Amino acid sequence: MNELFRRVRYLLQRRRFDQELANDLDFHREMADRAGSPLRNTLQLREAARDAWGWTWIDRFAQDLRYAVRMLRKSPGFTLAAVLMLAIGIGVNVAVFGFFDLMVLRPLNVRDPATLLRFHRRSPQNYAFAMPYPEMAFFRDHSRTLSAVMALNTTKVAMEGEDKQIDAAFVTANFFSELGATRRLGRLLDPSRDEAPGAPAVVVLDQGFWQRHFGADPLVIGKTIRLNDQPVMIVGVAGSEFSGLSMNQSAMWAPLTQQPYFATGSLLLTDFTANSVRMWGRLQPGFAPKASEAELQSLAAQLRKQHPAEIWEKETLPSDPGGYAKSMMIGDRSGSGSESQGELIPMIALVATLGLLILAVACGNLGSLLLARGAAREREIAIRIAVGAGKSRLIRQLFTESLVLALLGSIAGLAVGWAAQSSLMRLTDSPAWLNPAPDWRVALFALGAGFASAILFGLTPALHVARQRHRATIARQILVGAQVAASCVLLIVAGLLSRALNHALSADPGFAYQQVISIDPGLGRHGYTPARAQTYMETLQARLRALPGVESVAQAQSPPLGRRSEIAGIDIDGRRMRVQVNRFDPQFFQTMRVPLLRGRNLVRGETHAAVVSESFARAASPGQDPLGKKSFVGEDDTVVGIAGSARLVKIEDSDSVEVYLPLTLDDLPGTSVLVKTSAAPENLLRSVASAAKAIDPNTFPEVRLMKSEFRQKLRGGESSALAVSALGSVADLLACLGIVGVVAYAVSQRPREIGIRMALGARPAHILAVVLRQFSRPVAAGLLVGVGGAAALSGLLRGQLYGLSNFDPAAYLGAIALFVLTVLGAALWPARRALRVDPMKALRHE
Amino acid sequence: MGNMPKADMPSGALVLLILRVLRSGVLHGYAIAQKIHLLSSEVLHVEEGSLYPALQKILLKGWVTAEWGISETNRKVRFYRLTPAGRKQLEAELSEYDRVNEAIQSVLRTA
Repeated sequence: MNELFRRVRYLLQRRRFDQELANDLDFHREMADRAGSPLRNTLQLREAARDAWGWTWIDRFAQDLRYAVRMLRKSPGFTLAAVLMLAIGIGVNVAVFGFFDLMVLRPLNVRDPATLLRFHRRSPQNYAFAMPYPEMAFFRDHSRTLSAVMALNTTKVAMEGEDKQIDAAFVTANFFSELGATRRLGRLLDPSRDEAPGAPAVVVLDQGFWQRHFGADPLVIGKTIRLNDQPVMIVGVAGSEFSGLSMNQSAMWAPLTQQPYFATGSLLLTDFTANSVRMWGRLQPGFAPKASEAELQSLAAQLRKQHPAEIWEKETLPSDPGGYAKSMMIGDRSGSGSESQGELIPMIALVATLGLLILAVACGNLGSLLLARGAAREREIAIRIAVGAGKSRLIRQLFTESLVLALLGSIAGLAVGWAAQSSLMRLTDSPAWLNPAPDWRVALFALGAGFASAILFGLTPALHVARQRHRATIARQILVGAQVAASCVLLIVAGLLSRALNHALSADPGFAYQQVISIDPGLGRHGYTPARAQTYMETLQARLRALPGVESVAQAQSPPLGRRSEIAGIDIDGRRMRVQVNRFDPQFFQTMRVPLLRGRNLVRGETHAAVVSESFARAASPGQDPLGKKSFVGEDDTVVGIAGSARLVKIEDSDSVEVYLPLTLDDLPGTSVLVKTSAAPENLLRSVASAAKAIDPNTFPEVRLMKSEFRQKLRGGESSALAVSALGSVADLLACLGIVGVVAYAVSQRPREIGIRMALGARPAHILAVVLRQFSRPVAAGLLVGVGGAAALSGLLRGQLYGLSNFDPAAYLGAIALFVLTVLGAALWPARRALRVDPMKALRHE
Repeated sequence: MGNMPKADMPSGALVLLILRVLRSGVLHGYAIAQKIHLLSSEVLHVEEGSLYPALQKILLKGWVTAEWGISETNRKVRFYRLTPAGRKQLEAELSEYDRVNEAIQSVLRTA
């Protein structure tokens, strides 16, 4: 330990110790001179003695660094090209990692995010990412491992003077204080005031909504507005940096206990049957998440004794870390069988793979550039070897240059990545609290990526140059081949993805949406019993049918393209399948124009029957007739009919499979009504809305045009297709830049040979062939490897991402054709220079 | 490299010798080399190329300290002094040396 301190002191006071050492040696020389045995070079002796301090490498490194900076400044063109190339390669990866960091690694801007847990319900048969309010309340009142429990229910509310309904969230009143939210104005929700029985209705606005809707007027505090026709006072505005716990930005927050006030007849606070709230808990200090899960499991078992029908058998409450954006993306899915995994991580993994390939291409380009530069520095290297520089010293020197380049590239890449990420987030309207500014993880990642690239692009050329093997044809050819392969993989995969997406988006989704209006009266929210809901629904359907211009009317549990969907995970002969479950009445097929291909339609009121889509029949029992078999989704239901394949929920998923089950009485409080019009549906919107409102003025039916929903879904898909194509183009561009550099170098190296050939009367085409011939083999090999790699990668992807066809000849051929054409163009451009060689000058050259 | 006939010695032995000659008092670098040379009846010649690195190493280890003094030629120069830690190290190395030496001797005698 002491030795370490002394060593550091020698580093810090190097100058002083060095002088003392010099004095020692001078004295020694004087004495030796007197004794008649003169001393050899004291400078060398001093260096040898200084080695003992162990800091020589720093001196050498500083020397190398100074030299590297000087060399790079001497050739600004090369430096700029190299840094730009690295900035693109690193920038793409920084953007991808930045997004991953934002979603998964960076804690939310809330108080003590590490102790937040998000809970969901799980049993061997079912799962749900939301739970009944009273179940949450039971956990809150009895848990000893959680210091606080928060709950959230997102909904739409009608606000006076607004045509469209607004996103609002009902939250437990501890929501703001527990998450450490800052207020912008007024006050936030307060458990003692706002959860008391009979407390006046209050609402807290989101800062963005306050600015957009109220023009940032500070006088709104204390004002009364009407939400769902009920007067409510605005008490405060929450700061825009507050993330809340839901991905879709709420315009306002109100206490959960006041939800019945806004939704007349609501049973949310007492109803055990509906999964109505998402639950978060804060761990009591000293407890692990597992302890809390175990406690909640035993509490659920206790609760099941009182509510055996609603609390599931063997119900567990698994938790996820709650302090990260990822936990918000879960939403409130529910379904049967095993949980469906989110698509976030596979998607990020895919984009990350593409990003790394781009970086590899950029490194390949730089490698070739450095090799070419090394040849140009032949003389300098030769001189340095002649004056006694060792090989390892030379390699270290050349690698230091690469390190400096990598550092510059990392910094530029950080800026490029930041710019890319923030413009992408602005394009997609991401919430204000998601801050794309890089944190230390992203900065570290950029540095790491730069260092790794330095090894990748700098080490081999350094070895070659130091060994004076500048005619490193093999290394150059391998580099070209690797670049071609990596860019090829990128282009093909990008082509596959964007074609799959475009195909899914442009193809017929299998149902008619242009002339359909959906009406969600939200009866469940207003405490409707199944019997009352049935009366309501029958009245509504009768009145809608009576409207002129209405062709047919149907009822659906989860309307197509809606936010709600039911997914069943089933096993057929050991294969997993994710099935979209749709519960409809018999008019559905006619209303949505989904053809019934074989068998019969469902009959009102029947049970144990199912209609399956053609895609389901193909996937579940290939080569067999599914009619009369079990669908495995409902409780021993038999397949009675086969309908056309319709991508009702995910229009971008061409592999989607559907099962249609009959509506039961219990489903009715949650169903929507679909109206097919004979002419443009816009004209009917108003009369449809007022017909629904007239039946029960307390309800706030959400009336939507299905074609606008469809357009919205398309936009999402189109932007991902665009992003993937952009990545492919960047890769192609980089590959072309690399080829331009390599060919230009090859031409510049052989003016003599070209000159002689020209002097002997070779034709231009022949000369081009000579110049380019050396690249034909690596390019061909690279193409082969690239096609193989793309096939392997898309095979892997197919398991994870929808709609990707493994063998899509158009995508392969298109990508290869595009690649070959651009590369050929890139090669010909510098190669033309060869034709302009003046034979006389060339022969005099050197 | 020197002009004198040389008897090379391992650096461990050199450290032992330096510590040993410093036990009887402070010395500057040149004097250390001279003293070892004289005491070995002019058999051992300490190369400057190994003396100064060895001294730096011993300084880093904390076995000796350097202090300014005036040489016999009236010049400012650093003198090296054995520290308590250095004394301890010397004892340890001496007994280790004795042990190994004895072992070697007994092999030479009996083999």
